[in-house]
Amino acid sequence: MDIIDSISQFAIQEPALFALIIGIIGAAVISGVVNVGAMLVIWGERKVLSDFCNRFGPNRVGGRWGILQLGADAIKLFTKEDIIPGDADKGVYVWAPIVASMATMLVAAAIPFGALHIGGKDYPLVVANMDISAFYVEAALSLMAIAVFMAGYSSNNKYSILGAFRGIARMIAYEVPMGVCVIAVAVMAHSLNLVEIVQSQTLWYAFAQPLGFAIFVIALITDLGRIPFDQSEAEEEIISGYNTEYSGIRWGLLYFQEYNNALLGSILLSLLFLGGWQGPIIPIPVLDIISPLIWLFMKVVIVLWCLIWVRASLFRLRIDQVTDLGWKWMLPLSLLNLGWAVVVGSYFA
Amino acid sequence: MTNASEVLSSIQSAFPGAVLDSRVESDRRLWATIDSKKILDVCKHLTNKLNFDHYSGSAGVDWIARNEMEVVEIMASHGAHKVVAMLKVKTPRENPSVKSLTGLYWNANWYEREIWEMFGINFEGHPELYPLLLSDQLIGSWPWRKDFKGYPDLTTGERAVAITTPEGYTEYRFPPTPAEVEAGTVVAERPKYPTFREREEREIKSDSEMIMHLGPQHAMVPGPFLLDVLVEGERVKKGFLDVGYIHKGIEKIMENRTWLQGIVYTDRMCYVASLSNNECYCGAVEKILGLEVPERAQYIRVILEELSRIQSHLIGTGEFLTLVAGVGYAPWQYMIIDRERIISLIESVTGARLTHTFVRFGGVRNDLPDDFAEKCKTTLPYIKSRVNEFIELFAQDAIYQKRMENVGVLSAEDAKRVGIAGPALRASGVAYDMRVEDPILVYPDLDFKVIVGTKGDCADRVDCRLREILESIHIIEQCLDRIPAGPIKPEAKIPKKVPAGEAYYRVEDPRGEMGMYVISDGGDKPYRVKVRGPFYATLQTLPPLLEGVYIADVVAIAGSMDGCPSEADR
Repeated sequence: MDIIDSISQFAIQEPALFALIIGIIGAAVISGVVNVGAMLVIWGERKVLSDFCNRFGPNRVGGRWGILQLGADAIKLFTKEDIIPGDADKGVYVWAPIVASMATMLVAAAIPFGALHIGGKDYPLVVANMDISAFYVEAALSLMAIAVFMAGYSSNNKYSILGAFRGIARMIAYEVPMGVCVIAVAVMAHSLNLVEIVQSQTLWYAFAQPLGFAIFVIALITDLGRIPFDQSEAEEEIISGYNTEYSGIRWGLLYFQEYNNALLGSILLSLLFLGGWQGPIIPIPVLDIISPLIWLFMKVVIVLWCLIWVRASLFRLRIDQVTDLGWKWMLPLSLLNLGWAVVVGSYFA
Repeated sequence: MTNASEVLSSIQSAFPGAVLDSRVESDRRLWATIDSKKILDVCKHLTNKLNFDHYSGSAGVDWIARNEMEVVEIMASHGAHKVVAMLKVKTPRENPSVKSLTGLYWNANWYEREIWEMFGINFEGHPELYPLLLSDQLIGSWPWRKDFKGYPDLTTGERAVAITTPEGYTEYRFPPTPAEVEAGTVVAERPKYPTFREREEREIKSDSEMIMHLGPQHAMVPGPFLLDVLVEGERVKKGFLDVGYIHKGIEKIMENRTWLQGIVYTDRMCYVASLSNNECYCGAVEKILGLEVPERAQYIRVILEELSRIQSHLIGTGEFLTLVAGVGYAPWQYMIIDRERIISLIESVTGARLTHTFVRFGGVRNDLPDDFAEKCKTTLPYIKSRVNEFIELFAQDAIYQKRMENVGVLSAEDAKRVGIAGPALRASGVAYDMRVEDPILVYPDLDFKVIVGTKGDCADRVDCRLREILESIHIIEQCLDRIPAGPIKPEAKIPKKVPAGEAYYRVEDPRGEMGMYVISDGGDKPYRVKVRGPFYATLQTLPPLLEGVYIADVVAIAGSMDGCPSEADR
């Protein structure tokens, strides 16, 4: 206990320095966790999607499960030639993948990755526990749209520019209903803090506002740019969309951010609608401490699995149908859901 | 019911003196040499009075010994009757020129361009005589004429000039001799295929428009063909098509191979449908030879061709699915896996997965293995249930319906007019199937339906293809029940030299009407083989369909045509 005592004493004496140190450590841990998680998501997607398609997926590198495939891919991407097109807007082109990474890290900073259950109390694992974290996360997620547009616009390529425009059109159409759904959740939880939103879910918000849940899921898939909403990189139409001109590790970064986002989006969905880390405490020593983590992990895995399931079984929508759906159906319905949340939320409160 | 001799007498009475020479081969085939001045009138008469509403293509023939060239117009009807009229128009070898039929038939365009660039026969009144299959530099050498020496001239090497380009490539140029220019055998100024820049300058009217490449190197195209689309935002305003990227000159190569060797080349025209290509060539040669195919061999051919149709439709639909749903879409992989079963069935007979070279003149190469029927009895019901599942899946998929319905609609009239072929034609509601129109082998004895769609949109085209698989399975099951024992090859030895003659033979390729026009001059090699490929006909109809659709629909429409550019280019 000496260490903890001295740490808390230090925290009281030098609050600013302590916050800085915690922030730096947290940032390192978070970026490690998120990136490793995203690698696992990529591997999982390849394996699960192969299973849906009646194939094997990666099965050579690293044993029959192909677990080292991603390492091999990463090495390949790092060692590939880095090509910047002659006519590209070089500065923007170079910065686009970095902005994309920043966007995901900004999201990760405010997302609670679970909690530790010690002594009958949940201690949430979050780097920046803001009062408006739900709002902040939503805002930071839409930064990705800017990165996509930067990448597409600076490439000076016809496919890229179409992909970028599609991306922007899609994200504008869907960020609004998504935001309204988050507000509806906040109204019911009486808080914009993600930790408090989780703690307020005695009944999962997926059941309390099923319409909002459905809209949020669709908007999330759109935000992540996955089938049926992957118009910005529909490879059969516009080669690879906004990242057509990218190669090597720059492409790798952009690609990686999609999976980072998929992971963070699934966590966000679990936190907002599926009760987060809440669940019965497993009455086994050690396991009871991390049992909230286990619950959140399981929920996230199920959400991710469903995302892959959707990819394996749905057709891609056309871009006009996507915006139609967004503005003409999702937005009015999300407002309807907001009304429902206000009425029901104030009744139960 | 009209038959060939009635058609002939109708032409003769309407235009006395127009028919210079004629031969009624059977009820279904009419060969007539028409006065070149009257060909337009005769065609108009055929179309308006005798229901010849299907311009099926045209072939050029260089009769160097007679010092004349011939253009053979192939006319047929979409179901009104079953006569195919082969109208020959003769023109002298010096300054060859005939009247263009593009004013009458929209789809005559490509066939005539091909003849022009290969034989140098000028078509009066053709709107756009510029290179289609050949590169610009080859225009003027007229490679399919009989006196073509190769390019660069393989006999002397003198006529071609090697020029090093600024980029360091070697290009061969053909400076025509003044004598050639004077004689008109070389066009003085070669019409060129418009470059991308020229096309941009000509077509782009405002800053919001751009021309985008969809091919030849693009995830969309099933093989190399160029599809440029002029887009404004997401809307396509116009499509430009160019083929010839994998032009192999198979028709010319076959003139330099023996009759038997020619079969191998028909395989390579389209490797997903090589059995029907085999059949088409062998059938035409059998017709000239007057060979009877033993009944067992006929059944074997029908079984294998239907199997090949099943696997071709499965991969065609599967590829279409990847285009509209992405490669992660699971059912397309299911189709490929199912197709593999069919392929191994075919492999157990022919020994090859794709390029079979299995059909022989008057028979087939080898008999069915003993356990073939047994294997079919386990595989076919499985495929049937799977295909039924696919049909149901697409019928229930709301997103699929939203994407595909009323996209790329081709009405029945338009479909007939533009000469589209195969399931893409039948989806528009035109029941036009070679197995019924021009029955070969044992098809007349078999019971099967011609699958037709209603609207002619992308969903219909895919649906037609899938339901045709069910019909094919039905055909194979009948064949397996009825197949008699007996020889699989004719008793008599097949002569190395085929007697002089000509034949036009049509089969129903998985992609539609495939015809081969084979001429023999009595030698051990074909004098001329003309392939009327189904996808060549279908591909030509693509650009008009693309006007006003979204980019995503371009992909869907092109995919629903089930392309095989290899066969279009030949």
